[in-house]
Amino acid sequence: MEEEMKKLLTGILAAGMLAWATGAFSEDAKKADVPGKKKLSIAMVAKSSTNPVFLSARTGAEAAARDLSAKYGIDVKIDWRTPPTEDGQVQAQRIAQAVNEGADAILLSCSDAGKVNGAINDAVGRGVPVMTFDSDAPQSKRFAMYGVDDVKAGEQLMAELAKQIDGKGKVAILAGNQNAPNLKKRCEGVIKEAKKYPGITIVGTFNHVETPQDAAAEVVRVMNAYPDITAWAMVGGWPLFTKTLLADLNPDKVKVAAIDALPAQLPYIEKGIAPILLAQPTYNWGYVSVEKIVDRMCLNKEVPVMNDMQLVPVTKDNLGTWARQLKAWGMDVQEEYLKLEK
Amino acid sequence: MKKLISKIFGTQQSGIIMVILLLGVVLTIFSGSHPDRATGAQVNNFLNQYTLMQTATDASFFAIMAIGATIVIISGGIDLSVGSIYAFAGVISAMVLRAMGPMDSVPTLLTALTLCVGIGLACGLANGLMIVGLRVHPFIITLGTMWIFRGIAFVASKAESILIPDCLTGFTKATFGLGTLYPVPMLIMIASTVIGAIYLSKTVMGRHVYAIGGNADASRYSGLKVGRITTGVYVVSGLTAGIAAFVGTTYYGSASCADATGYELYVIASAVVGGTSLSGGKGSAISAMFGAVLIILIRQSIRTLHLDQNYEWIIIGLAIIIAVVLDQINARLTSRRLLKSVAEKQNIETIKSK
Repeated sequence: MEEEMKKLLTGILAAGMLAWATGAFSEDAKKADVPGKKKLSIAMVAKSSTNPVFLSARTGAEAAARDLSAKYGIDVKIDWRTPPTEDGQVQAQRIAQAVNEGADAILLSCSDAGKVNGAINDAVGRGVPVMTFDSDAPQSKRFAMYGVDDVKAGEQLMAELAKQIDGKGKVAILAGNQNAPNLKKRCEGVIKEAKKYPGITIVGTFNHVETPQDAAAEVVRVMNAYPDITAWAMVGGWPLFTKTLLADLNPDKVKVAAIDALPAQLPYIEKGIAPILLAQPTYNWGYVSVEKIVDRMCLNKEVPVMNDMQLVPVTKDNLGTWARQLKAWGMDVQEEYLKLEK
Repeated sequence: MKKLISKIFGTQQSGIIMVILLLGVVLTIFSGSHPDRATGAQVNNFLNQYTLMQTATDASFFAIMAIGATIVIISGGIDLSVGSIYAFAGVISAMVLRAMGPMDSVPTLLTALTLCVGIGLACGLANGLMIVGLRVHPFIITLGTMWIFRGIAFVASKAESILIPDCLTGFTKATFGLGTLYPVPMLIMIASTVIGAIYLSKTVMGRHVYAIGGNADASRYSGLKVGRITTGVYVVSGLTAGIAAFVGTTYYGSASCADATGYELYVIASAVVGGTSLSGGKGSAISAMFGAVLIILIRQSIRTLHLDQNYEWIIIGLAIIIAVVLDQINARLTSRRLLKSVAEKQNIETIKSK
């Protein structure tokens, strides 16, 4: 009996050891199954480190680096090299510097595509692949782009706004930096879509420095100059990061539709000033882009040149769900929105 | 050798050179290394040919403008419009080249250079004439033209980023057989510095600039045409902004009205870090170039040393103050040394005469 017990215990132990070894080996085999690079330093150059949307992209990129490192047993690191303010020339310098300091790949959102084409091509020439997100440099040798189709985004924005104002009224476009090609395309989309509504007049396209305060000040200035404006199509949600317009805009008279729906912007949905925000999952700019770079460089997978990101309409009906999604992406969200049922 | 070292340490630039070297050593030690993509050998992240050339290239745009700014500051003035002249000259040149259509390389190059330099000169002349003619402080005039020039560039270009012909980029990115190193901006920076240094130290016009900066009234009473000299220094400042616009626009391959936004402060900082006195009468073109190199080096070190980028502005601000203080300490020590050696000489001569 004792002998049998001994055998049984030995058997269980052996089976356990075998299972552990098999598991460990299969894990090792899985990790060793990476055909490309085992160590990856990705230099991330967004437009501006003072813009919250790029900070969430950074959070996403760093999360992807952690997840993919654990999943494939590779060492992915994000090297944040974003200038404090938008400057295409400085971006080009930072790309060159990253290449000189041994970066394996570059992830870039272009402030001025014309300025960074040369730096991208030089990087690619020296064996460092470049991927763009948010704002593309189509004439360069970058291997892929991840972001929204900007013309379509502009069209969708105007279509949603038109629903809110019953297809009639005077609409102003808030356009951000005049040199950003992606924002120009969104404005094109807004204007194109507006032509479908005979009752809608576009008052003008207003550029500004892309900080929340400058944007909010621009909205107030324009409202003073054109008191009959009934709606704003904001191709980026910069002024909604401040609380100024919560008091300055009357939701009964002026409606706003904007691209982006980050935590600080959610009160505008709740108060009815912005009945709809088209959220760019900006966290995914970082997360998905890093996945694509790892796919190409570590897993030797094909990556399509254009990778479309879909906008998420956020209204009072899904405010709670969206708030919880933002929370899950590591952002600080007001408790009141997290408690909402939908 | 001892003589050479003491000569180097006795120069006006010795303080800033020391700071640059010290920072270079710190960066070399702490920057780490990476495997070379071609050979696999370990390469220092800072002390490699690409980073050093990139540092010189990045500094060249500031440094060329800083030479003009230094001449203005020596004369007792200030020019806040250099960044806008840069953008204006670049945008108009790019638009004219686009309108003219494809041409051979040489005419394209000459047209771009003539336009950039010509627009820079014209803007500088406008600044100078308004400052002298309207008798308004240069800070106000150049603050106004800073917005006017950028505004014209904005209206003219409709905020579009205008690509320039490839042959121009080919010129500024000529490698001279150095692989992927582009030495042209650095060479233009060195040439501009040499010309600036000769202008300031070896020509009568240069000495006049120091004279009016030291004491404008005394210069006027001694017969110098202060108005003409003042106009001249703003023309030189416009010229250097035009040259920088040519180098920058052709190097990066496009021009937009937002180019060089805020660069005037970096340019003035380069001059000041280089030891130029904001009260006029003191400064040098060579020091201004080193000032620009130091500022770029500080900016670069934040990334090379993997410091938190959010601290960039704080670090640059502190570094500028520290660099100026160190330079002033060095200048004081040098002047004390000189006074001491003069006194010793006088003592020896007195003893000999006795």
